[in-house]
Amino acid sequence: MSGVAIRVEGLVRDFPKVRALDHLSFDVPSGIVFGFLGPNGAGKTTVIRVLLGLVDPTEGRSEVFGIDPRRNGDAVRARAGALLEHNGVYERLTAYQNLDFYARAWRLSRSVRHARIRELLLQLGLWERRDEAVGSWSRGMKQKLAVARAVLHRPPLVFLDEPTAGLDPVASASLRDDLARLAQQEGVTIFLTTHNLSEAERLCALVGVIRRGRLLDLGTPSALRTTRGAPVVRITGRGLRDEILAEIGTLDGVSQVTREGDTLVFALSGDREVAPLVAWLVGRGVGIEEVRRDRASFEDVFLEMVGQDSEGVERPVRGSGLR
Amino acid sequence: MMHDVWTVARKEWLEIIDQLLRFKRGGWSVLLIVGFLGVVSPLQMGESWLSSPLMFFYWPLLTSSMTSTLIADAIAGERERHTLETLLASRLSDSAIIAGKILAAVMYGFAFATTNLLIGWCVVNIKFSAGELLTMPAARVGALLALIGAGSFFISGVGVLVSLRATTVRQAQQTFGVILLVLMMTPVLFVHFTSVDFQSRVLDGATRLGVEALSFRAAAALGALAVVLNLAAIGRFKRGKLVLE
Repeated sequence: MSGVAIRVEGLVRDFPKVRALDHLSFDVPSGIVFGFLGPNGAGKTTVIRVLLGLVDPTEGRSEVFGIDPRRNGDAVRARAGALLEHNGVYERLTAYQNLDFYARAWRLSRSVRHARIRELLLQLGLWERRDEAVGSWSRGMKQKLAVARAVLHRPPLVFLDEPTAGLDPVASASLRDDLARLAQQEGVTIFLTTHNLSEAERLCALVGVIRRGRLLDLGTPSALRTTRGAPVVRITGRGLRDEILAEIGTLDGVSQVTREGDTLVFALSGDREVAPLVAWLVGRGVGIEEVRRDRASFEDVFLEMVGQDSEGVERPVRGSGLR
Repeated sequence: MMHDVWTVARKEWLEIIDQLLRFKRGGWSVLLIVGFLGVVSPLQMGESWLSSPLMFFYWPLLTSSMTSTLIADAIAGERERHTLETLLASRLSDSAIIAGKILAAVMYGFAFATTNLLIGWCVVNIKFSAGELLTMPAARVGALLALIGAGSFFISGVGVLVSLRATTVRQAQQTFGVILLVLMMTPVLFVHFTSVDFQSRVLDGATRLGVEALSFRAAAALGALAVVLNLAAIGRFKRGKLVLE
């Protein structure tokens, strides 16, 4: 990591009926994959648009490599690649023509252009189909092509707005592997928004969680799991009846309980001991087979964060990945 | 700047060529027009095809209509096909994007007209020359091409302004159709609402000037209007607004 790629300070963006960004502040160190997570309408795409200089903020400021996108959007766009909400590929053109157009737009020389297009299409397994019109391709292939387009000119920063959205699990995994490989090989800063939490956990060195335009937390996925996630106890047994499930949720120190087949998963608050819980279940005729302590999954942490009522429960935080 | 304009124009051309090569996607209609204007019409008119003043009316009109089909798609099409935001996120400047699209549309109209004129000239010569090459005076060719070019440029300006505001290609084409109708009806209304005396004076003046000189002047006026319209289009092209629309 060397320096800050993105700095956002007190960013506000108002639309006629909604505040899309609400005093958002965070830093993204350069050279990492940064995951920006949040439910639909959280403001993720608006942040990307502001950072690319496509939309002006109502208040606050942002910098991309020290450049203010509001004043010098051209300079920011010259240093960035983007796969936005839609893949943006020209369906009437072939894969090669799509990349060639943007390579010309980025002013790559003829020899560099061809070599780079070939390199990327080979890496993504699309070279053999380079002369096909993209319109006939699957969504996954188009997404791959859009990723290639985003990194074509070797930008130091790439914005990827939900790159695996709408893809089947196989295509998602394939694209995720490609992204990880590209990030490693190209050494770029990747600003990734996604709904896929396992994707974020696997790819991102740092994640920020946003909801209704406010940053809820920022940190590494494991740090968020540690600090945010309550300890979890998994108890597997026979005779787990619905009435037991209903009653156990009301016990002191049990903040959440869910059932996964023959297993009850408890989120425990404070220093609640497990033994009394087991004794309580045995007393109600449950045959205990296994008791296991676990940490909350990243998904649990995320859902807990974004699921909380925003009325004063969560306050925006100032985050810095450099700390 | 010119490199970027050419890059955008080249991309537009690749898309046009793809469309023309796909028979079902509209290639047939262009082929039909070329067949009629380049072959049937010269065959029917014979040698007079080269000298008819009608050429100065229908060629620019036809070229403008060909340009209009393309330019209406310029921004609305990118928006409809979800490629606009990615284009705006590139390093291409606003003016390069818009100028590239205008250049592609004007070139399309111009190429269409000159190709048809060449085909028509060949057809007339093959069928009616009787061993002697039939030609059109250079001034006449120049005046015709100037009018065709200026007409395409003018229509491009109107088209881009319409396309910038439209959310879909269909909406752009509908609005553009109405505007074209108004533009074509204006001379008719002019004749209807002016006195016979005024009309005869205008006609006398036009006759004295001759069709070539009149065409050059019309081309200059259209060209000047086109510059204003195209500059207005570039001025209206705002990334932030386009992204949010």
